Parts: sequence; C-alpha cells; structure tokens
Amino acid sequence: MDFLAEGFRRALALLLSGDAEVYGIALLTLKIGVISTVLACGLGIPLGFVLATRPFWGRRAALTVVNTALAFPTVVLGLLLYGLLSRRGPLGAAAWLYTWQAIALGDVLLALPIAAALAAAAVQGVDPRIRRTAETLGAGRWRTAWTVAREARFALAAVITTAFGHVVAEIGSAMTVGGNIRGQTRTLTTAVALYTSQGDFGLALALGLILLLLALLVNVALQALQGRGHA
Amino acid sequence: MLELIDVRHEYDGRVVLHLDRFAVPPGAAVAVVGPNGSGKSTLLRLLALLERPTQGRVLLDGAIVTPGGAARRRVTLVEQRPMLFRATVRENVAFGLQVRGIRRADVNRRVENVAARLGITPLLGRRRHELSDGEVQRVAVARALAVEPDVLLLDEPASSADRAAALTLYRTLAEERTRRPLAVCLASHQLEDAYRWADDVRALTDGRLSPVTPENLFRVELMAAPSGDLKHACVGTVEIAAMTDRTGPAILAVPPTDIFVSREPLASSARNTFHGRVIGLARRGSGGGAVHVTADVGVELIAVVTEEAVRDLALTPGTPVVFSFKASAVRVF
Repeated sequence: MDFLAEGFRRALALLLSGDAEVYGIALLTLKIGVISTVLACGLGIPLGFVLATRPFWGRRAALTVVNTALAFPTVVLGLLLYGLLSRRGPLGAAAWLYTWQAIALGDVLLALPIAAALAAAAVQGVDPRIRRTAETLGAGRWRTAWTVAREARFALAAVITTAFGHVVAEIGSAMTVGGNIRGQTRTLTTAVALYTSQGDFGLALALGLILLLLALLVNVALQALQGRGHA
Repeated sequence: MLELIDVRHEYDGRVVLHLDRFAVPPGAAVAVVGPNGSGKSTLLRLLALLERPTQGRVLLDGAIVTPGGAARRRVTLVEQRPMLFRATVRENVAFGLQVRGIRRADVNRRVENVAARLGITPLLGRRRHELSDGEVQRVAVARALAVEPDVLLLDEPASSADRAAALTLYRTLAEERTRRPLAVCLASHQLEDAYRWADDVRALTDGRLSPVTPENLFRVELMAAPSGDLKHACVGTVEIAAMTDRTGPAILAVPPTDIFVSREPLASSARNTFHGRVIGLARRGSGGGAVHVTADVGVELIAVVTEEAVRDLALTPGTPVVFSFKASAVRVF
C-alpha cells in the first residue's frame, strides 16, 4: 500500500508544482477532447434526430448500424485508421499519421455513434405531443426540431458529457494513430499507460487524477448549464 | 371550409377512420361525439394536418392541403391532454406568434389580450409544473387562440376542467366566435357539452359517422311545475316526465340503455310508460350483442337491449312494445 500513498504524494506534488510536461499533456488532451466532442456531437446529434423522427427506408438498419458501432473496439478502429492514414493508405497524402489530428479523427469516429444513438434515444423520450403542438402552432421543421431539442436538453447534455468522457478516456486508437510522441501526440491516457509500464507510478497517477478532474469539470459545467433550465 | 373527402386512415393495418365526407364549414360550431376509441382524436389530427390520411384528401377552401404545408397555420388543435412547453405560460402563449415572425411588441400585446380573455393573466409568469390540469387546459386554448386560426380543433376540451371551468371555456369560445370568423370543431364524449354548445352534433362510432346522431334528444320547453322538480315536456304526441329544477328551453336526453323494453306495461316506479310499435332493429359495433331497438311511441325512441332480450320478447318490426323509463333517468341540459 506504501507505493500507492507515495504515488498520491508524488501526484499532488507534480500537480501543485505546475510541471510543464504534465500540463502540456493535459492541455493537448483537452484540446483533442473538445474538438472531437464538438465535431462528433455536431454531426451525431442531428443524425440522432433524423433517426428518431424521420421515417425513411432502412431506418431500422441504420439504427442497428449505429448501435453496433457503439461497441466497436477502439484498437480495431485505430488499426483501420492507421491503414487509411499510412503513407500507402488512401488518406496518406494528408500526412496525418502520428499527429493530434489523427487522434481527433479517431475520437470523432468513436464518439459519433455514441452521440447519434444517445441523441436518438433522448429525442424518442420526448413526449410526442410536444412535436405535434409545435407543428399545430405553425412551427416549421427546424423550429419544431429546436423545440423538441429544448425539451430534451437535459438528456442531450448527458449525450455531450458521455461523448466527452469516451473521447478523453480512449487509448486504443490514440496509441495506434498518435504514436504517443512526447510533446506532440502524448495524451493523458497514452501517457498513463507509458509511465505505468515504466514503473513511474506517481507520474501516471498524477495524470490519471488530471483525467478525472477534466471529466469532473465538464460534468460540473454541463450541470450548471442544466441548472439554469426549469421544468 | 375544411373537409375530409373519402378518407380512410389505418394504424398498423387496422382501419380507425373511414369517412366519405366530413366538413367543417366556415364559422361553424361542430361537435363530434362518440365513445373512447371511436376515432375522434384521429379525425382531429387529420383535420389539423398533423397526419396524412392513408387514403383520401384533405381540402381547405377547396384546395388539397397536406401536412407541412402553409395551410397548417390556419388550423390549430388543442389536444385532449395538452402539453405545455418547458417555459413560462407567457412564452407558451407567444410561441405560435413568434414562429410567424410577428414583432415582439405585437406578440406581447396579443399575449396580454388573449390571456385577459381566458382569465389567465395571473398565470403568465408561471411554469407548467406550477399549474393545475384545468389551468394547463386554459393556457393551451389561449395559446391556440393567440394565433387566430380559421379553424380551432378541440379534443375533449372539458375533460380536465371542473364544470365551472368548462362553462367558462365554452363561453369564451362563443365570445371568440362573435369577435371574429372562427370555425370550431370539438370532440367530446359528453353529449351535454356538445348539445349545449354546438350548432351541429355528429356521432362517430368505430371510425364511421353514425347515421343516427345521438339518440333520444329533444329540444323542449319545460313548464314550471306547481310543486317539486317533476316537470313534463311535450315531445311529439307524448309527454315526458323529467326530474329537474330547470324551466324554459332545454334539451332532454333519454339514455337508450335506461329504457326498459317489454311487451306489456310493467308495474314499476317509472314515470314514463309509452306504448308503440317497433320500427327497426339495428346491430351496431363489432358484435358486442347490443341491439338498438327503434320504436314509434308517439315519438321515435331508441332503446338498447341484448340480443337475448330481442329473442325472448320476439321483437321484430311491427311488434307492439312498451318503453318505460324513470323521470330521474332523463337528463336535462
């Protein structure tokens, strides 16, 4: 148990000392997390709306695909992305392999089905009278969608939180396409894995605590936003 | 004029509405009555252009209209259990005006105006969880009236209101119709409300318009009784006894299920006993065993009996028959 206590002490010391490497890793993780979450939710939430509200041929199959993608192993996603981004791959010209952009792309692909599936469930949870009422009062398609979204805003905030949580906690794809390069593509999760394997438990724990802190901050921020709404 | 023509509507392959024609003329007050599940709500949703009929056409002023089109802004529906948005009452009432792009000052003026007419001004700052069911209903009606539709559709508007609130609602609707051209079509399972308020009452049974509109209803003049509440009113060539404290113009309703049918007069407490002949037998619905027996007893009356009773009494057209019912069974409104 001593090494755990020692690890916590080391973690606190690193956090309080403002270690440049630790904070650099945290900032990069935050940057990738925010960008990927915005992109994934920006695409996934409208997709969820469509899946939940618009009847179209193949809708059930599309829902099945999205739900299946929820369980897609991140390391396999990373492997496929590696194939696409490697020099011989179809997207090799972009030269994104081992860059933070590659990690963000993997995170978007990971979080997109999460955002779509959870948004579809959130919208389906809204009382259908809300949509009918908006329509009968003269709202067009977009205003009706906005009205439904307002009713589902608590559930949609949870979608964003969940997507962000998955993105910052992801390691398989980040390791494969990011390469865990110090100062360039080292994120909190890849760094925790690296330092743990090197026996630097204190540093790994410090980074793990920061990861938890990030998740906590995002949750608190979203809860504060939700708190402004009333029933 | 809002019309459904040759409309057939299905849910999961089951026909829930089948109408050759249903029209709401401009400025009309139409009531659709029928039991739960008779298709009233579906009818209103089709008229409100919220759903497209499986077959058939919806016409507004002679032009075919579809869900999503501009015509929807001329027709507004208040559902049976209306839902307010997660916002204040003021924002709810303003919603339809805002989506029409009306200027904020005009929106506020119209919201205040309609709120005053519906008596909900003190509620404007409240949110939906702070309202009773009756208040939600009034806010929903105010929200619908705020957009000044040509046709207002109301699904069981008095279902969540007490009697006083329901009467206020009907009075407001009547005032609204004198203020501007407004056709109102309401669905109700309460005959009393329908007859009290509408110019035209139509009955819906199993998704079809019933050829016989609500049975045994008579407009009468109730004379003051020398003592007590037992009043008599002339209907056709007979005099119906009813228990009521009302006098003057009224509508009498004799529930068909409250009429005893016999071949000979019964020694009973029934104050109304009429002799006549059966003129028709009709089996309605999906085979529940109920038979509607129409007899001419000086006026046409319909009684509902079982198939077994029809057999036991050997009822056929032309059979002499006696209809009896208590004065307290007669509903007066």
